Amino acid sequence: MKLLLATLMLTFCSNSYCYIDPGTGSFIFQLFAAGALTGIFAFKSYWQSFKNLFSRKK
Amino acid sequence: MKQLASSFRDPAGYLFTKDSVLYRSISAQYKTHYEHLMSSGLYQKLTSERKLVTHTQENIGFEDNITIKPEFIPVISYPYEWAFSQLKDAALLTLSIQKDALEHGMTLKDASAFNVQFVGAAPLFIDTLSFELLNATQPWIAYRQFCQHFLAPLSLMAHVDIRLLSLFETHLDGIPLDLTSTLLPFSTRFNFSLFLHIHMHAKSQKKFERSPSKNTTSRAAFSLTKHKALIDSLITTITKLTLPKISTEWADYYSDDSYTTTGLISKQTIVSQFLRIIKPETVCDLGANDGFFSLLAKQHAQRVISTDYDPLCVENNYLRLKSQNSSDILPLMINITNTSPARGWNHTERLAFEDRIQVDCSLALALIHHLAISNNIPLVFLAQYFSSLSPYLIIEFVPKTDKKVKTLLATRKDVFPTYTQESFEEIFAEKFHILEKVAIDNSERTLYLMRRLK
Repeated sequence: MKLLLATLMLTFCSNSYCYIDPGTGSFIFQLFAAGALTGIFAFKSYWQSFKNLFSRKK
Repeated sequence: MKQLASSFRDPAGYLFTKDSVLYRSISAQYKTHYEHLMSSGLYQKLTSERKLVTHTQENIGFEDNITIKPEFIPVISYPYEWAFSQLKDAALLTLSIQKDALEHGMTLKDASAFNVQFVGAAPLFIDTLSFELLNATQPWIAYRQFCQHFLAPLSLMAHVDIRLLSLFETHLDGIPLDLTSTLLPFSTRFNFSLFLHIHMHAKSQKKFERSPSKNTTSRAAFSLTKHKALIDSLITTITKLTLPKISTEWADYYSDDSYTTTGLISKQTIVSQFLRIIKPETVCDLGANDGFFSLLAKQHAQRVISTDYDPLCVENNYLRLKSQNSSDILPLMINITNTSPARGWNHTERLAFEDRIQVDCSLALALIHHLAISNNIPLVFLAQYFSSLSPYLIIEFVPKTDKKVKTLLATRKDVFPTYTQESFEEIFAEKFHILEKVAIDNSERTLYLMRRLK
């Protein structure tokens, strides 16, 4: 699994400079955190669209 | 050509000076990214909104490199010299740029607070080479760095103590998240954003350093929406961080009874008169408090560096200048008795405060008694230091009979037999010509205009 993770990070980094260390824990944590945050972000976006619609009609 | 020691980490290019002009060399391997920045409309957008430093392309390249000449930044400052709101605005600028970059198919490959500089009270992103093409499946490489450089110090200042910014000075790649998590109060675990980006993040760093996770590959795909969600969350988190209502030793200096109204007007008149004589380009106001005399100095100079060691004074100074859209007065948190030293690799990566400023005139108003008496610094040392800072010096002598000095001496033994006006003049005359000497009305204090001996 360690090898798999290392390969995954190197694959990501091969297409970019990655000159700073993203940090293994930070890298993995971001995958989970962003997943959770996407739901909140989607709700906020829809709510904003709804409010805009409402304010335009008004 | 002289390569700068501050830009050795990123292989995309480096900074160098030629005939005292600063250039940035862009390596051939970074060319694609640079060309996309320029052709996608991102550079145009960011520079027109005054978020990114402008540059011109120059024909003095070496090998296959492209050379650009960035606009001149008058004073280079470091994050550990900023007020809370300066660091907060620098964080929000970085996130705003990342948001714009995503819209143009790019991303920031680093999120260092050192990539932001202040031109007056306005933050400006100075690293043109921080942008790279967005890899559709790649998480934000700079997430850890952003949290360490911005979120960690800001949350510590907001939730523990404003003075904890000093941790940044010893941790040049930002304050470690495990340390931040340990120092933050338990109550911050009930704040969703801090729980996520600091506490859980720190825990994850610790866990995966030892044993990598199982589900990593299946969750690896990182969509543009995820990028936007992450940035949106960080913007919300940073925006919500505010300083608690606190008071510091110096925050109310000008509202106390140091001067009568006549005395203050007299002091303003004399300082203006001195500045009119020397017509400085740059003034450094040392011990500026909330910048009252920096504003006055600005009327006679092109730019002013307004320094104080009290974080709340610098905060108030910055917020006022920001509200006035000031682009000529730079507020910085500097302790004269312990200014920012040279730091980083071989002590050349980050320069000492004195090596970053070029000043024509220093203002040392109501300062000398704090240095000489509160900090026991001999007058000889002070004369030497001030003469190394700038060719002109405007300095206020505060005698032992002044009530502020009496207060300083009230709780300690007077071990300063040479702290007299005569002795002061004699010692400073060894380093300066005393051009003017004017007593402040309704006060026992005296203002001097001095020119450094050649």
